[in-house]
Amino acid sequence: MGDLKILTDEQIVEYVRNKDKETYVEIVLRYQDKLMRYSNSLTHDEQKSADIVQNAFIKAFINLNSFNTKMKFSTWIYRITHNEAINIIIKYKREVPLPDDMDIISDEDIELNFSKEEIKTKVNNCISEIPLIYREPLTLFFLEEKSYDEISDILRLPIGTVGTRINRAKNLLKNICQTKK
Amino acid sequence: MSNQEINITENVMNKIKSGKAKMKSRWYFLLGSTIATIGIVFLVTTLVFLIHLIIFSLRTHGPMGDIRYDQMVSNFPWWAPVIAIIGVSFGIWILKKFDFSYKKNFIFIVIGFILAIILAGWFIDYLGFNNFMERGPMRGLYQQQDGGGMRGQGLRNIR
Repeated sequence: MGDLKILTDEQIVEYVRNKDKETYVEIVLRYQDKLMRYSNSLTHDEQKSADIVQNAFIKAFINLNSFNTKMKFSTWIYRITHNEAINIIIKYKREVPLPDDMDIISDEDIELNFSKEEIKTKVNNCISEIPLIYREPLTLFFLEEKSYDEISDILRLPIGTVGTRINRAKNLLKNICQTKK
Repeated sequence: MSNQEINITENVMNKIKSGKAKMKSRWYFLLGSTIATIGIVFLVTTLVFLIHLIIFSLRTHGPMGDIRYDQMVSNFPWWAPVIAIIGVSFGIWILKKFDFSYKKNFIFIVIGFILAIILAGWFIDYLGFNNFMERGPMRGLYQQQDGGGMRGQGLRNIR
């Protein structure tokens, strides 16, 4: 096969399914950093994250024939990784997420206070202190640069809920980061 | 490339090359989808029939003013909603199991499913499919459900 770099994820998946399963290495190389970062933001544990990502890649390979190549592969692999991470988190019960209806009252426009780049830096510094349900969409949005639609697919949440959680997460982030100063 | 990255790549590819991680064939997923579809078709057919039977049961108790609550409660086929709940739960479980990757709004699926069944049950009743069922293989069941109010009358004259 020619240069794999020019192929889309979905084209590589098609090739792996039909011709050469070892081409799957290209998928692993493309996604392992991103998935490690995402998984690490959820677990805060390098070793667990490595296990999660490894399991996600293997699970994705085993179920590769169920993947619909008309959909985005990145959403699919993030979803699998997300499920693996949540299973590990539940297993170790290290997280106590805040209730869904918890709200932070603020009339401030957070966008005015933080640019996306600023938030990206602050997210890296303070993210571990944000409850899991807010950390998930925030990480995907700011660190993985996923759209609301993709986040909605990965987390299986309505787009409105994704937006609400990201806004709340930004408020939380602001409070946490300010108290850290 | 860090050691961890190399490890992940190596571990994954070693499992694939050694055959410890095998890709499930398309047939596996096709079979799963087929079984799920057949199950759903059977479930829908059963539930449509039950809805129709409930409508029949309600009608044979006469005009609404004459329906006695305790008679309704005692005659109501409670196993129908129980089967429906179990069936829908099983269907959702299958959908989640065989398609874990894409978002699905299960609340809308369930509401749509229930509405479709009720409408189909009503439509079949409206078309007079009950005439065939009453005289055919389900005669005994229909006689149980008529509440005794229509004994001696032709079931076809109930309307």
